[in-house]
Amino acid sequence: MSVVDTAPSGANPTGATASLAVEDLHVAFGGNRVLIGVDLNFTPGFNGLIGPNGAGKTTVFNVISGYVRSSEGAVRLHGEELLQMSRTQRVKAGIGRTFQAPRLILDATVMENTLLGRHHLFRWGHFAELLLLPQQRREETEARQICMEMLDRFGLADVAHEEAGALSLGSQKLVEVARAMVANPTVVLLDEPAAGLGADDVTVLLRGLREIQAERDLCVIIIEHDLQLVTSLCPKISVLHFGEIISEGSPEHVTSDPAVIEAYLGHGFEAEEGGEIHEVEGPLSEHHHIDHVEEESSLEEVWTDDDGTEQEEPS
Amino acid sequence: MTDQALPSLYPQKSSLRRAVPEWASTFAIFIFLALLPWMHIIGWTDIFDSSNNFGRGNLAFVFAFAVAGVGFNLLVGYSGTLGLAIAGLFALGAYGTAVLSAPSDAREALAGYDWPFFIALPVICIAAAIIGFLVGFPAARLKGFFLAIATLALGELIVTIIRLDEKVWDGLKTNGGTGKQVPQFRVPGLDRILSVYMLSLGALFITMVAYVVLTNRRLGRTLKAVRDIDIATGPLGISSTYYKLLAFGISAFAAALAGAMWAQNSSFANPSAFRTRLLVFLLVVLIVGGVSRKWGPLIGAIFFVFLRQKLQDTQKLLFLILGITLILAVLILPNGIAALPKQLRDSRWVKDLQRRLGTLTDFSL
Repeated sequence: MSVVDTAPSGANPTGATASLAVEDLHVAFGGNRVLIGVDLNFTPGFNGLIGPNGAGKTTVFNVISGYVRSSEGAVRLHGEELLQMSRTQRVKAGIGRTFQAPRLILDATVMENTLLGRHHLFRWGHFAELLLLPQQRREETEARQICMEMLDRFGLADVAHEEAGALSLGSQKLVEVARAMVANPTVVLLDEPAAGLGADDVTVLLRGLREIQAERDLCVIIIEHDLQLVTSLCPKISVLHFGEIISEGSPEHVTSDPAVIEAYLGHGFEAEEGGEIHEVEGPLSEHHHIDHVEEESSLEEVWTDDDGTEQEEPS
Repeated sequence: MTDQALPSLYPQKSSLRRAVPEWASTFAIFIFLALLPWMHIIGWTDIFDSSNNFGRGNLAFVFAFAVAGVGFNLLVGYSGTLGLAIAGLFALGAYGTAVLSAPSDAREALAGYDWPFFIALPVICIAAAIIGFLVGFPAARLKGFFLAIATLALGELIVTIIRLDEKVWDGLKTNGGTGKQVPQFRVPGLDRILSVYMLSLGALFITMVAYVVLTNRRLGRTLKAVRDIDIATGPLGISSTYYKLLAFGISAFAAALAGAMWAQNSSFANPSAFRTRLLVFLLVVLIVGGVSRKWGPLIGAIFFVFLRQKLQDTQKLLFLILGITLILAVLILPNGIAALPKQLRDSRWVKDLQRRLGTLTDFSL
């Protein structure tokens, strides 16, 4: 394993002009074209990615984090081409992500789960671990300190030594966000972080995200069906529909765009001045609580080995 | 929020664990086992009566099987990879050390390469680890049954190579299917059986210490992640393939070490001893003892060697009883005998007792 410390220093937010550029991305599963020439530009701050189910939002994340191979196009992080990298290299380059369904080791503690995000930054290998070198121990304690502070931001410090399986779904999702954040990413992909969270958890999540984003000048990309949340958090929103970007811009612009209303929001949705919106009734409520089994399963099916050389296509 | 003190970075230990740390209890058990041949306290069965050679030999077999079990535990219990090449790697350890350390001028059944035992042993174990690592490459891409069958085939391949005779592979010196005599290593000042006993106990000690150190730290967490959230380890910067290979390699090392100890004890190695039934034996050691439990393999090995000696005259009955035990273990004690204290502690009547008595002492191992 390479020991070269190429990890971005999240502790040094000043130099970060993180931007992730997705250029002309094409993805097809067999004959099913999922992304058709998607161009996206993400800058530091909160970026929303919305659209109906099956629009290809998670596929965009899967391409960026290396689960799905695109047939055409490029993804650049700070100008560096990502698509040739393995999944682990992308993490070292500064990509972090969470999944729709939290993926934690249920019989390990919250702390241990969070520490997983820190592992790729450890400089001492497993041999040092076996020899009980004090440097390794110090590194572990430092990592635990960082993780504990991060858990504290998301209100999880008290349950740090509880088994993750004993936590509610909402708390588990918060653990996953914390785990993504301790890895010091410059770009974080959050796949529906608020889905399944109670109102209190959402408040904690948003406060934590805002704090961390401001400290590190982080680029956060959020897929979310809760429009209220997206419009209040993200100054810039992109709308994906059947694999194409149909609208992009400020919340006001996007929510009043006829194409978006037609495809996603429905006519029952009205934007008031200042971007405040009220859900009256309409297609959105149907979208709201639909099971995301379809997008989730696409992730499992195109699961490839880490080096990404082989690509299975779902039948 | 930040000015308020954060909880401790490491989990709180129980009062018992604070008084007797894990390393202390582990060391104490090994010191006890090292002194056992000079104590006469196990009188309940002559199978493990450490005052005579029969009991000492059986205990040495227990330690050898436990070594293989500990490595197997890391592979199956932690990384969740059902690699079944372990019987073949066990054979590699047995034959490898026998052939390398045998005198070169002896007759065919005992001919070898004159290597000192303590050079042959690590060389063979590292070779096994490398084979495990390399075989893992294609195997780590397979899952479940396919992985089990591919690794099973590798194990059989090693045994098949051992069966080859000099005419096919000059210099292999395994003496074909008839078996190989194993040159004995003697610890100075000890007789044959005590040498084997101490050697096997030393091997178990090293394996256990490595297991405890590694699984309690980063490697244990990472392997659990590979087991439970395989698909999501990529965005954590963890290469699941690499860690599966590492687990393969470590378990192969332990299997070869166990094989070498087994061969020292039985003093004669025959290829038919490493057929699939050895794999079944090791599965019993692992599953009855307790998957991903520290003392599981040792307890499982005690159980297995006891049963094997008891039913030595009726081999068919042994398999019948082993089969029934495996089923019962999976049904009643899914986490093995080693998890019995925890299972009891979590059971309803102990919880009830605990409520009545206040706090009950933590009696986990």
